Amino acid sequence: MDCPTCVDKHVIRVENLCKTYRVPQKPPGLVGSLRSLFSREVQQVHAVQNVTFEIQPGERVGFLGPNGAGKTTTLKMLSGLLVPTSGQINVRGFRPSDRDPDFLRRITLVMGQKQQLLWDLPPYESLELNRALYAISRAQFQETVGQLRDLLDLGALLDRPVRNLSLGERMKCELAVALLHRPDVLFLDEPTIGLDVTMQATVRTFIAEWNQRYGVTVLLTSHYMQDIAALCNRVIVIDGGKLVYDGDLGALARNIAPHRRILLRSHTEMTLDALSAYGPFVREGGSTVASVHASVVNSIVNRLLVDIPDIELSVEDASLESIIARLFQRGEGETRNGRQ
Amino acid sequence: MKHFFRSLREFPALLNVGAASMVAYRAEMVLWILSATLPLIMLAVWDRVAMDGPVRGFDQGKFALYFAATLIVRQLSGAWVVWELNHQIRTGGLSSALLRPVFPGLWFAAENLAAIPIRLVILVPIVLLIWWWRPELASNFDAIYVPIALISTLFAWLGNFCIQWLFGSFAFWLGQTLGLYNLWFGIWALFSGYLIPFAVMPESMADVARWLPFRALLGTPVDVFSNRLPWSNVVFELGLQLFWVTTLGLLASFVWRMGLRRYEAFGS
Repeated sequence: MDCPTCVDKHVIRVENLCKTYRVPQKPPGLVGSLRSLFSREVQQVHAVQNVTFEIQPGERVGFLGPNGAGKTTTLKMLSGLLVPTSGQINVRGFRPSDRDPDFLRRITLVMGQKQQLLWDLPPYESLELNRALYAISRAQFQETVGQLRDLLDLGALLDRPVRNLSLGERMKCELAVALLHRPDVLFLDEPTIGLDVTMQATVRTFIAEWNQRYGVTVLLTSHYMQDIAALCNRVIVIDGGKLVYDGDLGALARNIAPHRRILLRSHTEMTLDALSAYGPFVREGGSTVASVHASVVNSIVNRLLVDIPDIELSVEDASLESIIARLFQRGEGETRNGRQ
Repeated sequence: MKHFFRSLREFPALLNVGAASMVAYRAEMVLWILSATLPLIMLAVWDRVAMDGPVRGFDQGKFALYFAATLIVRQLSGAWVVWELNHQIRTGGLSSALLRPVFPGLWFAAENLAAIPIRLVILVPIVLLIWWWRPELASNFDAIYVPIALISTLFAWLGNFCIQWLFGSFAFWLGQTLGLYNLWFGIWALFSGYLIPFAVMPESMADVARWLPFRALLGTPVDVFSNRLPWSNVVFELGLQLFWVTTLGLLASFVWRMGLRRYEAFGS
């Protein structure tokens, strides 16, 4: 089932992608409404600007950015829902905006919890509908539904009307419907949004398992950094529609936040003066803390363990949230490419 | 086009799901059908007018047959895709249909067609009541026209679906097109034979209306059902109907394809 036109090793290739929306402006109030009847101002919003990246088969890539950065717009262009203003997209050898049915059979896009499920019918009806629409054989249908039922712990959920399901239950069913046709490329837009911690973990585990089992390519947006940390080695960061980082998640952390926090606790009295020989320690609540460069953490820890016998210590990385926040604060024009 | 015909193979599955949706909404569907009673009101009005004698050859029995046929054709050829499409374009709900490898129109068409059995269940008792009230309508009815009338009703449904698809697609530019569609509906009601039978219309009005698309969407099958068309005219009238259906279909398809380029998938 490989696409005959797929001649390069990339599943997704995006070059100089741009999307500009025309947003009508209406002054507030009745007068504004009346005025806009006769003359309406239109503002050009550059949602995506000259974004370029490539993704290889089986990669799990995190797509990060603040609200309004252009993540969802890019996903919609990659899945063929939106036509780019300019630039090129190639997904599995297809131009998505052509919406070729053979292309649509190879991808899926999950956005929120109410995308493909038929609201008033049990999820099984949506699965049956997709079985027909994607021309899936009965044997493959039963096999895939069985796998999805096990991995997502769907149990009896498939037989209850969608409107009676909880948010988390709907999300699990949404994933099942979206993956029934075994697409090669998964575009997941905030797949864990609004879910409780347990359900988030279930969804994360499922995505990782499905990726390993079928070698599918995953491009994922999420505001939960645990999703990104657990699933993606590579991240693409966009801000204000522009790509600001594309590369290894660890390298991003080292680059943006090169410091680690060493936390100390000891039964014997430790003065800050004495500790200053090891690093810039300060009191913070009940702990003694030092923020030091990652390159010297090991040597400091080793010396502390040797010199102070009853010491308890731990080393904390900067949270991914703070790393991303710092990245966004660096402003425009600082495009980084971590991929050498 | 190749993909469109391939998609048609999946139509039975779409009909199944459409029928399941209709069952889920059955109470609302019954109310929706019962609300489309304008032909019954028009029957009451014209029946009163014809009490003192026939109007241009239309007596009470003929009016009863005409408006019973109008009720049947309207119920069987009705579509509501303009509301669905308008809503889905505006809210971004269309995205899920666009992600599937079949033409979204087929899904909407299946949903519309799946309602026909439910509509028939409501329709049959109403028509029998009209028959009981004005038994003379039977003397003007000729069952031999029924198969042709059903073909003509199918064309009318296709035409209605296409025109609603066309108006629905304008939402890609305008956001909200129901006002525009209601304007069309008003003109359609006047020129399609919905309110006034063609035979009773002022001649100059009927001469113009005969060549407009409105008649193809209701008047033609109603005239066939109610035995108003001589055999010699049937082929021509069905040909004219087919011409309008094709024209509206091509126009709807063109506007849809242009509109898709502007789709912004809001809210999803």
